Amino acid sequence: MNTFLSTLTIAGASLPELLMAYRPFLDPLPLQRAWYLLLFPLCLGIAVTYKAVRVPDMRRYWRDVAIFTTQLVLSVVVVGGLMFWVVLWVLPRIVPMPA
Amino acid sequence: MSHTPDTHAEPAGFNPLAGITAIILPGAGHVVRGERQRGLLIGGGILGLFFGGMLIGGIDVVDSEEDFPWFIAQSLVGPLAFGVDYVHQHYFKVLAVVEQVTPDGQRMLIETRRSAYPREVRDEHGKPTPAASPTDPPPNTKSLSKTNELGTLFGTIAGMLNVIAVVDAAFPTARRRIAKPAANTAGAREAVKA
Repeated sequence: MNTFLSTLTIAGASLPELLMAYRPFLDPLPLQRAWYLLLFPLCLGIAVTYKAVRVPDMRRYWRDVAIFTTQLVLSVVVVGGLMFWVVLWVLPRIVPMPA
Repeated sequence: MSHTPDTHAEPAGFNPLAGITAIILPGAGHVVRGERQRGLLIGGGILGLFFGGMLIGGIDVVDSEEDFPWFIAQSLVGPLAFGVDYVHQHYFKVLAVVEQVTPDGQRMLIETRRSAYPREVRDEHGKPTPAASPTDPPPNTKSLSKTNELGTLFGTIAGMLNVIAVVDAAFPTARRRIAKPAANTAGAREAVKA
């Protein structure tokens, strides 16, 4: 946990110091090094809205939202992993960089 | 398995009132149409994404002057996005004089809006002035890098989702779940033989 919190420091300021100075809606959140965590609220927001339009039976709504959120998060992770593999493994073999 | 259930949306006319209210406030079109729960969830989702983006990157993520292409998509949230942008431009940015070089090489001074720098505050005329104390914060802090990108993206996706919601409110569908016979199953082949 301490390791995780230490990632949320900017320019030597600790998390409590940053949060005390933070003014909601006026200042950016100190998440420069943990930005990938924002994938979860983003996918949840998309799923909540899209499934509210799409589902025929609202009794199945939250179940569908949970499934769609998981699908979105996993899809982004898989696409991100593929891009990582292409850029760092495939491309250097196709177009070798000069030493 | 002899039948594959499928969602089938039948068109159910055109509802201009619901469409207009959906443009004015996300989710309101469905509430007007009588689908209160659906409307509240749509509104909560879209506004949650829009204000969530502002919570992540600050009011700086809604900026029609510096990030105009992104603001086009954010403006699809409705009048709320224009209101936030107006407040940002007129109550948080400072009016600064900058030197600009014209194409024919002439130097001229123009007044432009920009975010206040860290040790600047905004005076009553909107001009930037040095802060009296180092602890005086600027009107808002300009977000950079990932927080700015993600905050902007949240608002942009909120706007694009609102288009889906407006279309669904204006052109309602019955959203019936009907059973569609599967074409190439053992059950279907037996039915054809019989």
